[in-house]
Amino acid sequence: MPAVKKHRIVDAITLDSIMSKLSDSKRTDDRGLLDYRKIEIETNILKDKTNGSAKVKIGDTEVWAGIKVETANPFPDTPAEGVMTCNAEMLPISSQYVEPGPPDEDTIELSRVSDRGIRESGMIDVSELCIKEGELVYSVYIDVAVINEDGNLFDAVAYAGTTALLQADMSKFTIENDEVKMLEEREKLPIKSLPISTTFAKIGDKIIIDPNADEQEIATARLTLVTDENGKYVSAQKGKPGGFTFEELKEISVISKEKGEEIRKMIKEAVNNGA
Amino acid sequence: MKTNSIERKYVVPGDVVIEGDHNPIANVIKEGNKIISTKIGMAEIAYNGVKVIPLNGTYIPRTDDVVIGKVVEMNGFAWEVDINSWFFGILTGSSVFGRGFSSSKDSMQSQFKKGDCLVAKILSFDRTRDPLMSVSGPGLGKIKEGEITYITSSKIPRVIGKKGAMIKLIEEHTNCHMTIGQNGAILLKGTDDGRLKAKSAIELIGNNAHLSDLNDRVISLISK
Repeated sequence: MPAVKKHRIVDAITLDSIMSKLSDSKRTDDRGLLDYRKIEIETNILKDKTNGSAKVKIGDTEVWAGIKVETANPFPDTPAEGVMTCNAEMLPISSQYVEPGPPDEDTIELSRVSDRGIRESGMIDVSELCIKEGELVYSVYIDVAVINEDGNLFDAVAYAGTTALLQADMSKFTIENDEVKMLEEREKLPIKSLPISTTFAKIGDKIIIDPNADEQEIATARLTLVTDENGKYVSAQKGKPGGFTFEELKEISVISKEKGEEIRKMIKEAVNNGA
Repeated sequence: MKTNSIERKYVVPGDVVIEGDHNPIANVIKEGNKIISTKIGMAEIAYNGVKVIPLNGTYIPRTDDVVIGKVVEMNGFAWEVDINSWFFGILTGSSVFGRGFSSSKDSMQSQFKKGDCLVAKILSFDRTRDPLMSVSGPGLGKIKEGEITYITSSKIPRVIGKKGAMIKLIEEHTNCHMTIGQNGAILLKGTDDGRLKAKSAIELIGNNAHLSDLNDRVISLISK
């Protein structure tokens, strides 16, 4: 019989220790309810292969992101806009519960949520990615790979994708006699804002931020909020069957902005240091 | 070599560990008069034979090993236990309830539920079927309290130390009680501070298992 482990089962003693610590407003790894684990951000890790790349670690969760800027035909309904796609995938080495093959529904959700955060915030100005209207545009591919999984992939993938975008570049071009010529010179992508994702989970009646794998498994509800620099909420995703009360949502929305500001600083610093 | 001295060196798969008349013990194959490694790790050449201790790897069950596992699946006759390996341990109802076990009378739920942790012994294993386990014996059975931490199973001998020296050292300094599973799971019972200290000591052993001054490093870490 093949030993396929379908999903994570939190064992009874871990569950006990999480619950007893939570009742004292503490976590099993000694951080507070509203503390992130240590976030490490590194840029330009895949120099020759990509136009921009980043590695983000949140505790034991590790994801790598790579950006590829290519030219493509525009979509017929948006002839003057560039194309942006963000895709996240789970590698089989990331966790014992991931198997090779088509992505499962959690991975698809991960991919969609990270795409939505970047797209709806207008982080990339797609109208500036147009080379020749109706004929040629830049298309930006953001590919994020999960190397190691220990909860809170939504945030890790979002940070990796945005950090890589901030650092990515594309080639300049000129148009001579109606012919497009690509130049050697490079320029940064047209970045307009920096959306930051924050993920909350609800266990019992406690709200925690940055859940690890075990906490995420036993949580009754999960909420990912993405905010931009102007304090606008640009996207949200709610998961798991439980719910939040109105008061809890109000509290979360305030914390999300505060934490977002801290992490935005962290990402900008990492990009400035790396460049 | 008829001495007690042990020669150590790092090898990768395919490396010739040594040539000559030696006895292959583990993770090596003999071809002609060459002993060739099949794993990445530390080769130990002693008078009684040659073996390679892998740097990393999954636990492969062996008969009579004491392991710590987690119940992941159950049916009317047996529990399936995740023992940190690519095999699941099988704990049959009759080995828990005795010979008069009947799946219609005895409630499996009353003994172990999904998610329960247990210390068990491997009764038999032949690499073709999942290992059979038993929980009858001193120190075996359901785990009610404590914390489980994991380390690569090939490094468990270093956690135990010579005649249990390392266990004793960690237990004395942290006031923790440790139960060691050969599958790389270690159960810690004690205060929060003690457990945290013991965990960092085990992590240190995991990262520095190949060093000879391991004892001193652990002492300097936990006596702080």
